[in-house]
Amino acid sequence: MLPSSSTSAEAFQVRVQIFGLLRLMLNGLESLEVRCAPGETVGSLLEKFQAALAQPVTHKLLTPEGELWVGTIILVNRRNVLHLEGLQTPIQAGDVVALFPPGAGG
Amino acid sequence: MGYGWNGKILRVNLTTQSCQVEPLNEEWARDYVGGRGLATKYLCEETDPQVDPLSPENKLIFATGPLTGTYGAANGRYMVVTKSPLTGTVACSNSGGYFPSELKYAGFDLIIFEGKAPKPMYLRIYNDKVELAGANHLWGKSTSEAEDLIRNEFHGDAKVALIGPAGENQVHYACIVNDKHRAAGRSGVGMVMGSKNLKAVAVRGTGGVGVADPAGFREAARECYRMLRTHPVTSQGLPALGTAVLVNIINQSGALPTRNSQSGTFDHAEDISGERLAQTYLKRNKSCMGCIIGCGRVTQLSDPRWSGSGEGPEYESLWALGAACGVSDLAAITQANYLCNEYGMDTITAGSTVACAMELFERGLISEAEAGMPLKFGDGDAMVRLIEQAGKGEGFGKKIALGSYRLAESYGAPEFSMSVKKLEFPAYDGRGIQGMGLEYATSNRGACHVRGYLVSPEILGVPEKLDPQAIEGKAAWAKGFQDATALVDSAGVCLFTTFGIGVPQVGKLFSAATGKTADEAALMEVGERVWNMERVYNLKAGIDPSQDTLPKRLLEEPLPDGPMKGAVAHLGELLPQYYSARGWDEKGIPTEQKLKSLGVTS
Repeated sequence: MLPSSSTSAEAFQVRVQIFGLLRLMLNGLESLEVRCAPGETVGSLLEKFQAALAQPVTHKLLTPEGELWVGTIILVNRRNVLHLEGLQTPIQAGDVVALFPPGAGG
Repeated sequence: MGYGWNGKILRVNLTTQSCQVEPLNEEWARDYVGGRGLATKYLCEETDPQVDPLSPENKLIFATGPLTGTYGAANGRYMVVTKSPLTGTVACSNSGGYFPSELKYAGFDLIIFEGKAPKPMYLRIYNDKVELAGANHLWGKSTSEAEDLIRNEFHGDAKVALIGPAGENQVHYACIVNDKHRAAGRSGVGMVMGSKNLKAVAVRGTGGVGVADPAGFREAARECYRMLRTHPVTSQGLPALGTAVLVNIINQSGALPTRNSQSGTFDHAEDISGERLAQTYLKRNKSCMGCIIGCGRVTQLSDPRWSGSGEGPEYESLWALGAACGVSDLAAITQANYLCNEYGMDTITAGSTVACAMELFERGLISEAEAGMPLKFGDGDAMVRLIEQAGKGEGFGKKIALGSYRLAESYGAPEFSMSVKKLEFPAYDGRGIQGMGLEYATSNRGACHVRGYLVSPEILGVPEKLDPQAIEGKAAWAKGFQDATALVDSAGVCLFTTFGIGVPQVGKLFSAATGKTADEAALMEVGERVWNMERVYNLKAGIDPSQDTLPKRLLEEPLPDGPMKGAVAHLGELLPQYYSARGWDEKGIPTEQKLKSLGVTS
């Protein structure tokens, strides 16, 4: 008997943690499980994350050109993607992704 | 003079109770601009750096900058400059609100307090009418009570800067609170004010600030507003959650000093975060004069144990009274923050000193009998009790009032004080963020985050992202940020605007306001001049370069957990690079050539 779907067999869930202004916009939503496929990157994950939500929020992370705003922090397993491969950083099963729109203090 | 600067100093001799108006030294104003730079120049010229900070011979200077009270960025700052009783270094503590601009509108750039009043007094200023009034009835009153009394008896629209009971009781980290909820917080400037028997300064000014080129100033101001309104940090990030948004950011980055810097991550960070504060006690945002960012947080505490309202806690307070003490009880943190505001204490040193006491207790150096209670990490109620005792000068609070270094030293264990030059770290671990370790070690007032905020590039990615563990290039970044900050502090502009604007914009405002054209290079040289002047003051005060260091814990104990696990502070590599970037000799002494080029008196 064949597997029902090779894609679903390889798919995996990734937890996306939501912080700062994004959490306010999403009425306190702290995290979201996003279904990922092999070859997933931070950039494609953001598209799926947005698609799972009723309102637009990723424009707080990305410019209209699709680049990270100055000050946006995206961590994969607590490492800033700017020190990895940026939006091309690969996502794997078990990863935890944290999204922070630009913020500051002192 | 007359544009930007008012051109007038108010000199108040508290011993003789005389108040005199003097012209501002124009040459010094040209070279040191105002605020931090100009006031430090007066301190250097008029006092012996070895003066006892609590003696009448020490001076206390309230200083605005040429941009204070103007519109354009967030130009509502003033600085309190004196010799610090906590550190023995030069002190410059910065505050916003409305008091600074009001002082400018009354016609003064600086107030220099000398001597010591024979009894509690406060200064009343109504434009050019100045008088000292008795303050016996205000002594012992909290900051908000005393401010209300002063406004009732002097002028309903007066703006007030004052000390609380902590300043009167000689808490080493007493601050000067203005507009009830803003504070010149660090280095114990409120202790100096208390030592002079000066309770408050109340000012009502009905004038304005003249600018030399109104059209040019409007254009420069528009540019600043446009940049602040479009930069994601200043237009959205800071307004949304204020500084408290950093709790989760810094914790996730592995650099949130926890349980007296024994860890870089706090398991309960969410419970003390800006996001949680927004869901619980936050009522609204609040701005200082002329500010479009509005990072202030108005809160109302409702808890079975406490109730009240006020401002904060800000990020630094959430950390110091929270993660540093292992406390995840947001109500306790908020209550302790309110107590610090009412007693007039720096929340950073207050929380860090409690954290130090908790470690000393857990190591068996402080007994329960001596403290009057168990002092275990995580006990929010004990933390609140200690803060209150410190403000009142009661019980074990008398020891907490000393600050962490003197506390730990009294038990023969100064290494458990997380401080540099006796000033406690703010909320960033110098192992997790290498540039901040260098900044703490070299800051002229001790471990401080607002002398060169390298968190911005190293963690936040503003203006560009640097690797927090990288060494190369950090010394030059530190120098650049330190010099730029010294300029901003001297101009009277809020440092937070620099997330969105830069020195070129400050330069345009400055040139249009004062009529004295200054390009970016000239203004950065002002910052460097101020930095070197402060360094020379400290050297003369006996603060030698061997104190450009970090506690043993940061140098030798690797972070035990989190994404920065294993990291120690690489100060040994960074410090020589920093001295070289500064043009100082290998021992950290500014060379004669460097000082001569900057026009700083050695």
